[in-house]
Amino acid sequence: MNSQDILNSYEWRELIEMMPVVQEFFSGDEDSHGLNALLGGLDVYIRKMLAQVDAGKPFVWYNLGFNSELIWALDDVMPITVEALGALHSALCNSRITKDFIDEAQAVGIPADSCSADKLSIGAIRRGLYPMPACTVGINTPCDAQVLTTQVMAELGEAPFFAIDVPYYHEDETIHHVAGQLKELIPFLEENTGRKMDIDKLRESCDLSNQMSENLWEWLDWRKQVPLTQTSKLVGFTLFMQILFTGCQEGVDAAKAFAREARERTERGEKFFEEKVRCVWYQDAVWTDLQMYDWFERELGLTVPVDVFGYFANQGVIDLTNMDTMLYGLARKLVDCHPMARQFRGDVDFYIGDAMRMLEDFQADCFIFAGHIGCKHAWGGVGLFKEACRRADIPLLVFEFDMFDDRVTSYDDVYFEVERFVNEIVVPKKQRKVA
Amino acid sequence: MAEEILREVNGLISGITNRHVDEWKASGKPVVGYFCHYVPREVIMAAGALPLRLRGAGSEDSSSGDAYLSSRLCTFARHVMSLAIDGHYDFLDGEVSSNSCDHVRRSADVFRKKTGIAFHGFLSIPRNPRESLYGYYLEELRKLMAGLEEHFGVKVGPDELREAVRQINANRDRLRTINEMRAEDKPKITGAEALSIHIASQVMPPAAFQDLADRLIEALKARPGLDTSKGRLVMVGAELDEPEYIEAIESQGALVVGDLLCFGGRSVLAPLDENAADPLDVIGRSYFFSSSCARMIGDFPKRWDELNELYAKVRGDGVIFERIIFCDPWGADLHNIMHRIEKENTFPLLSLTREYNIVPTGQVKTRVQAFLEKLEIAKAQKVAAGGAK
Repeated sequence: MNSQDILNSYEWRELIEMMPVVQEFFSGDEDSHGLNALLGGLDVYIRKMLAQVDAGKPFVWYNLGFNSELIWALDDVMPITVEALGALHSALCNSRITKDFIDEAQAVGIPADSCSADKLSIGAIRRGLYPMPACTVGINTPCDAQVLTTQVMAELGEAPFFAIDVPYYHEDETIHHVAGQLKELIPFLEENTGRKMDIDKLRESCDLSNQMSENLWEWLDWRKQVPLTQTSKLVGFTLFMQILFTGCQEGVDAAKAFAREARERTERGEKFFEEKVRCVWYQDAVWTDLQMYDWFERELGLTVPVDVFGYFANQGVIDLTNMDTMLYGLARKLVDCHPMARQFRGDVDFYIGDAMRMLEDFQADCFIFAGHIGCKHAWGGVGLFKEACRRADIPLLVFEFDMFDDRVTSYDDVYFEVERFVNEIVVPKKQRKVA
Repeated sequence: MAEEILREVNGLISGITNRHVDEWKASGKPVVGYFCHYVPREVIMAAGALPLRLRGAGSEDSSSGDAYLSSRLCTFARHVMSLAIDGHYDFLDGEVSSNSCDHVRRSADVFRKKTGIAFHGFLSIPRNPRESLYGYYLEELRKLMAGLEEHFGVKVGPDELREAVRQINANRDRLRTINEMRAEDKPKITGAEALSIHIASQVMPPAAFQDLADRLIEALKARPGLDTSKGRLVMVGAELDEPEYIEAIESQGALVVGDLLCFGGRSVLAPLDENAADPLDVIGRSYFFSSSCARMIGDFPKRWDELNELYAKVRGDGVIFERIIFCDPWGADLHNIMHRIEKENTFPLLSLTREYNIVPTGQVKTRVQAFLEKLEIAKAQKVAAGGAK
């Protein structure tokens, strides 16, 4: 495979051709630093990939629960998250292509009831759209559904596979257990890519990762302000940044730009809409139509300061002292900070506890449980989550949809559910409280 | 004679408890339920408790389970939890869950919060069976053992573990014998009957099971062999503790002569060393490395080899894959199995997605019938091609 093969595939070509159009559209708003930087970073990422293919240098595939600092720390090796192409199409370009991937996966045995994030990655792998890897890394986070991607990646990647196990418990022992596996991963990566791990390069990668984290934390702090001055739809991009850019300069630039944008807008006291209701969007973003959030803001006065893709918990930066401290920091980031991986792997008390923490920190009025149909752990916890909300007297909306496939629940149905909830439940409740 | 014993077996597994469990309880000994194959029965037994595999047998509807787990989780978990929430599992003195899959993991939450069961054990089982992760699993077993010791006020030493190993080994010896009789040219037992006896081995005290199995084996020897001319099938997949499902398949004329099902063939591990110096390590290694569930990532090649070995051993004509709707791990394996078949043209495959506790009627039977016809045509073509040569 060379770069021309990639450019010849309509799935990549359309994305690459669309990038300048999207960039131009968003650059119309000079203050939209975050999205502009993110798009710039994506542009760099794709160019790097094309150059990597032409240079015949190695790729390492991984699934979305993993972070790429260790891979960037190998000389000339490029990480590829196998969800990237389908997810980017859904969020920024042509969601029909995402759905083609989903259909492709279902046609070859992947169940229709599985998560579309897995199906879109499997569809893209089946079509041979990613440069073949020197090896693959699979992790069992953020949730059980990732077993689909990891098993298929191991089978179709036709390269040695390394599994990382993240245990159930929220304790320090879990972090040590994962750090031990990262240590084990290094010789595996070295052997299969033919590149040596350079501790200075790892330190550099971890330093960039830290800078990105600190900027994300600052960004999220600005989003705690009432009213929200930066649009709702941006917050879920935290996960995109984590899985694509963590450990490289593009990640730092994007995170810094999001923080700067939020800071400047807040300092200027900007107000695009009248904020009536703030919600924690607990579970998955509507990637099929991010404009929906604009509609929520404009028509309902509903803002989403944070969602589960956007919440990047602050557990401290990676200690750069030596290899062991860096591996421990990377492991802690994977299991306790990474969006979704943090909440989705353990017991329901932690899952509910984090929701309550977010509600308080982001000064929200209610929860919207956007129930992605493939998200079994979330649906499995919904009964206890409802009880917790009832006890705490917090309004909760629960509805079914698919974050990458609008054929499951239409836009109209999502609008209808959210509108009714906000206007008939949350707003009257707030008014009663004030009265 | 065999029919009579098989009726007895069916009576024992038709609900979630049976007279042997009642007798055990009546003698003042505890019963501990467990969800998953990766929870070693030997550890529970060594603590003086009867390990009882959790099932949804006899559940009339899953509404209580649905209220907590929603309608998007597997119906096996929902039926089990319905029974638990509604108090049918209140006779348990404890339960052991795990992070085997999201369905079991969330069921563990509901067990803890919505039942009055006194002891809750949990195993975080690593998702890949390699040596460097085994230590974590072994440590989990140690913690479980310590929890059982503390709760039940017993001391579990190597002798108790060795005795438990002997008991479960003896169970599995019988099941191996039955599986051999099932794989004969003219099998002595149907797939549905074989599954029933496998289930029984997981829901009653070992001594009572061994007596039952011995009687059955003797009776089967005298039973005339069954016709397999319509097809010898192998079944693979997830939880299946409903013999009537296999009965519906076999009602179309074929026999299920081997399986790698969670309640069936996959539960029959190779004999464990009964005199090991460190019996917990022997138990741990056996469960962790020997039998692979689709939850184990990166382990599909091993499962593929096991399936092919069994298929060759029992001289299969086709494979039926079964999966309960919403099960992700087995969904991935279905893809990989189909991919290998596409590449290697190994065996004919029929994939069935099912719901727990729904007796298969026309739809499944029609699909099985069509599959058997396909096998028959393939056989005829093979013979014709051979004749032409």
